[in-house]
Amino acid sequence: MKTEMPLSKPIRRFISQTEEMLDTQISLLRQPDADPGGTLIDVYTYDMEKNVNVIIFPAQYVGLLKDFVIAKHCTNLLIKGAAHKKAKYMVCSYTEDSVYRGMRQIYLDALKDEAKKQDKLPVNKLIQMLFILFTHFNDDINELPWNALVNASVYHRMPKIRKTQLYHVMKESKNDMDEMIEQESIIPRRYFVLNKAMFYARDMFLAKTLPADELMPVLNIPQMKKFNHLEVKEMLTTRWTHTAWYQSKVFGDNMLEIVDKHLDKVEWNAPPTLDHYLELYKLGVNLTNHLISYMTMKDWFIWEEPKHLLQAHAMKEDYEKQALKKIFGDLLGESWGGT
Amino acid sequence: MTVKEAAEFAKKGRAYAQRTKYKEAMAYYNKALQIDPKYPEGWYLRASVLVETGKPEEAIADFDRALALNQNYADAWSKKALALYNLERFNDALLAATRASTLNGNDASAWYIKGVCLDELGRSDEAQEAYGKSLELEIILDMDAERKKVRKS
Repeated sequence: MKTEMPLSKPIRRFISQTEEMLDTQISLLRQPDADPGGTLIDVYTYDMEKNVNVIIFPAQYVGLLKDFVIAKHCTNLLIKGAAHKKAKYMVCSYTEDSVYRGMRQIYLDALKDEAKKQDKLPVNKLIQMLFILFTHFNDDINELPWNALVNASVYHRMPKIRKTQLYHVMKESKNDMDEMIEQESIIPRRYFVLNKAMFYARDMFLAKTLPADELMPVLNIPQMKKFNHLEVKEMLTTRWTHTAWYQSKVFGDNMLEIVDKHLDKVEWNAPPTLDHYLELYKLGVNLTNHLISYMTMKDWFIWEEPKHLLQAHAMKEDYEKQALKKIFGDLLGESWGGT
Repeated sequence: MTVKEAAEFAKKGRAYAQRTKYKEAMAYYNKALQIDPKYPEGWYLRASVLVETGKPEEAIADFDRALALNQNYADAWSKKALALYNLERFNDALLAATRASTLNGNDASAWYIKGVCLDELGRSDEAQEAYGKSLELEIILDMDAERKKVRKS
């Protein structure tokens, strides 16, 4: 790693360790419009010319926020790299058939919801929503279980950036809670609730992992004063119960149980070897499978190499079109498909 | 040629530097400094590009010129701290970062470099304080950035 950016000692050490263990390089890139959580472009997911992984973060992250994003993505990279080197790195992908099964299920659920509604959703909007919702769940299931795992790992391995992590977790949680809210009346209730429940389970797991006292120095910021004297868990619970998605709590508690069952036994401070990160990968896969099962989406997704998912993304307009044809037959004109 | 023209050249250079087109940026900064060698911002901007392109020694010489013209130039102290840090001159970097954060208490970057240098010098408790201050400022910056994004959308 070569950078002109200042980096705190533990982060510099962590980057070097990661590079050494995976026999790869990490490059850091600051970008004004980067995703708030940063982005990892890694050699295990994408076809890269050089053996260099890139971590991108927002330009306004000049200090510890940048360090946290780097720690998070290095952990992610270690999990992917360990799986690649010691087993096979796989992600949740989809095929033409699995898209059909998923979209058909969403359609049937949507019909049940629509039957009870006074203001019916225009047919074109309902049709457009099917594939959007399907891919939304694909994105979330590929991200959310790993997010809980990675955050817990960073928390135990990097005590010096815990305050930063807490701010990040809260910010991420807020953004995730706001997601989909504008589409609440459009999305079938079941999927709205399941989506929120996944985030709820992740937040509650992290609230248990990250104790409140870590927040104190951050409390000098006026906007955050209202959280004073509250437990992190209480903070997050309070926010959840005051939202429109209170129903999500019921499902969320069940999902939390699944997350707990998988992650409670992890030895977070075990020596940071490739075997340890492989263990985390296996746990992540198991956790993902259980969450998919719980949401009865087992036949929506398949475990495949990342290349398969990239190809599926490239084919998605076609997959959507074919699925719509199978669901609606000749009822739809040729112009349909491709949201 | 006027001071105003030097500022115009510097402005153009900065636009290039923001897009990481450092060669073009340097050309404009050189023009600005030819017109007005007593223009501290010109020296500061050129030095900043030198830091970004991995030339900390040359950058320090330019920062010193900027600081000779204006010794209360907070941003120049802050970036000079970064150049010194890159040369692993942690004591000097700490002095520069402290000067920067005294002149401008809201410079998150200066507080962070201060923390990093203190950590390197084994002064862990003081480092934590500096990190804490840096984090506060960074969060405020981040919240502002989020607000701007919401307003835009």
